[in-house]
Amino acid sequence: MSSIGTGYDLSASQFSPDGRVFQVEYAQKAIENSGTAVALLGKDGVVFAVEKLVTSKLYEPGANRRLFSVDRHIGMGISGLLADARQIVETARTEASNYRGEYGGDAPLRYVTDRVAMYMHAYTLYSAVRPFGCSVILGTYNVPEKKPEMYMIDPSGVYLGYLGCAVGKAKQAAKTEMEKLQLSDMTCKQLLKEAAKIIYIVHDEVKDKSFELELSWIGEHTNGRHERITGEVFTEAEAYAKAALDEESDSEIDES
Amino acid sequence: MATGLAPEIPSGGFSFGNFQRNLSLEVQGLHPPKAIKTGTTICGLTFNNGVVLGADTRATAGNVVADKNCSKIHRLAPKIFCCGAGTAADTEMTTRNIESQLELLRLNMGREVPVVVANRLLKQMLFRYQGYVSAALVLGGVDKFGSHIYCIYPHGSTDKLPYATMGSGSLAAMAVFERGWKLDMDEAYAVQLVRDAIAAGITNDLGSGSNVDINIIRRDEPKTKIIRPYEEIGLRGKRHGKYTYQKGTTKVLETEVIPIVVEEEEVVQRMDED
Amino acid sequence: MNSYLTDNVPNRFACLGLGTNSPQSLTKRPAASLRDMPDWLTSEHSTGTSLMAAEFDGGVVIGADTRTTTGAYVANRVTDKLTRVTDRIYCCRSGSAADTQAIADVVTYHLEFHEIETGEPALVRSAAAVFKDICYNYRDQMSAGIIVAGWDSRHGGQVYSVPIGGMVVRQPVTIGGSGSTFIYGYVDSTFKPKMTREECEQFVLNGLTLALSRDGSSGGCVRLGTITKDGVDRRVVLHNDLPKFYEG
Repeated sequence: MSSIGTGYDLSASQFSPDGRVFQVEYAQKAIENSGTAVALLGKDGVVFAVEKLVTSKLYEPGANRRLFSVDRHIGMGISGLLADARQIVETARTEASNYRGEYGGDAPLRYVTDRVAMYMHAYTLYSAVRPFGCSVILGTYNVPEKKPEMYMIDPSGVYLGYLGCAVGKAKQAAKTEMEKLQLSDMTCKQLLKEAAKIIYIVHDEVKDKSFELELSWIGEHTNGRHERITGEVFTEAEAYAKAALDEESDSEIDES
Repeated sequence: MATGLAPEIPSGGFSFGNFQRNLSLEVQGLHPPKAIKTGTTICGLTFNNGVVLGADTRATAGNVVADKNCSKIHRLAPKIFCCGAGTAADTEMTTRNIESQLELLRLNMGREVPVVVANRLLKQMLFRYQGYVSAALVLGGVDKFGSHIYCIYPHGSTDKLPYATMGSGSLAAMAVFERGWKLDMDEAYAVQLVRDAIAAGITNDLGSGSNVDINIIRRDEPKTKIIRPYEEIGLRGKRHGKYTYQKGTTKVLETEVIPIVVEEEEVVQRMDED
Repeated sequence: MNSYLTDNVPNRFACLGLGTNSPQSLTKRPAASLRDMPDWLTSEHSTGTSLMAAEFDGGVVIGADTRTTTGAYVANRVTDKLTRVTDRIYCCRSGSAADTQAIADVVTYHLEFHEIETGEPALVRSAAAVFKDICYNYRDQMSAGIIVAGWDSRHGGQVYSVPIGGMVVRQPVTIGGSGSTFIYGYVDSTFKPKMTREECEQFVLNGLTLALSRDGSSGGCVRLGTITKDGVDRRVVLHNDLPKFYEG
């Protein structure tokens, strides 16, 4: 790494001579060590899927979740340092709640995203702080306008709207998988299975032994509420993902 | 201990030392002094080439006329003027303060400040003081958007109107306006109407009197001046007859002279010598 | 020497007592020092008012009389009590003119900022919430009864009432101001949901006419505003054009 030893990477408040802020780049690196999170935007909602890496068999299932509800109508998937991300979740929840208190309605996702992004960006400006080592994906579904929305904020404080979004360890592979899909023609039900499948496909069994799949969605069928997926729907999606994975590895063997 | 180098810090807060004394003085009938008020007639209207503002010139303090020729039309900007009723000090200081703010604003923005801005500054200031600044104003002026009259009340409410009156004589003046106002008046008619309105206030309202001041702000002229006085209404009547009598008007029938005898007695009192 | 102590405090410092034709005081909160001042200075401008707002299929109709009073004097006979907040949200003001104008100005500023921040037109509910916030927080210092009405793409035409204590409630039809007490019966017997625009306008006009003919501090003309997705349509009905009812 060219930055090491030059002294320009010691604080977020200093540029390197070629115009980079190394601390922000390191924060982005932190995300690349974390489990993959994907979110897909369909025609009737948004689905989230997260590969939650389990580093010890001693953890109880369902610990250290990486999918959150920011408000009833906003879901958030995270990748990167969990503790950092939790602070972002808290910030987003405060923003949504303040908005509700002031204007008596659901906060628009653009508004919450913009405020949270400003907050994250502030941590890239001063020497006394370090940037957040996480990226977050926010999703919502606007029922009266029948409009799903999704944004991703990265540690630099930049945010963009996406149709399909992946962050974390295997984001490249996940993006490749997403590009095969006609996302905006698909429903949440279909997308959920595809999202689960993507997580199973991009999971690296060799390097990371076990993982837990987390799923959630928000759309027309949930009446604009963000819901975590459990029970039969979850099992079904997971089964589909596992079956697709088996099929894929079979065909790989065939080819060789 | 207080020394020249380390003076004692004065204790803060209010002093109520004189409260009891003032209260007992008031019970005995000695009231604190009150501010001079302008029991007033002021008015303004728009015509086809600008606005006309009018005011009387009487300032009163109780039943005494404190000033027979005071000026109640204040300049806020070259083409924005403001008539003031209420406490003389309040209208004077309020308009002076806003005049200064408007000029600074003009210098900052590099363009003429429109009349709405003057209205906003005035109403926001008066609202802040919750009616305790007794200024009732008729604001008038022209800008690139046209001619405007605003009525501004001491509590900070405002009305945008084609014609407005204010002050204790406002009822008399409004009666004249309601009778004579027309759409698209020419200058001569408008000035006459304003004169009549103020004259109605001067003649029918105890709090108004003396002269009519008028200010004509024309759209096509960069500057304007207050015509002061435009007309003297409340003049003291002239003596029509002669009240001195010619010598010899009364006939002398007889004359008798009685000398006055003054008895004089001098008493000398000596100051004690010892 | 303190001037309080000199016994020749001249009479010229006394306050002005005014002429015989000064209007009756309706003074709500003049300070003690203002006691001797004339009415037109001390009594607050209040909009003894008749207000009405009703939802119809596709929008709302709002209406108000045009009288502003200072005590017994009509300070303005062509007042506009329907005040713009955003392009498709208006408020109807009653209570102190100064207070409601100031509140409307603050809310207008607040929502304009909010529209820039969110990049979309403000919801009527948001406007009502901001009005409520101010009216509730300053409930001891202000007298303001406000109706907020408008149209947004989310929930269509809406009417919210923010009465004097700072409550907020959505109603399909609401009335406000001193004149409203006279027309509760009319409103209850006549209003029906999902009227056409024309029906609704006539309903509001009739209601206000009945109110201002029975309420002494309401009067003048009737101003109407119809807010739909296409914006605002405003109209004045002059006093001699108002509908005729029993006048015996």
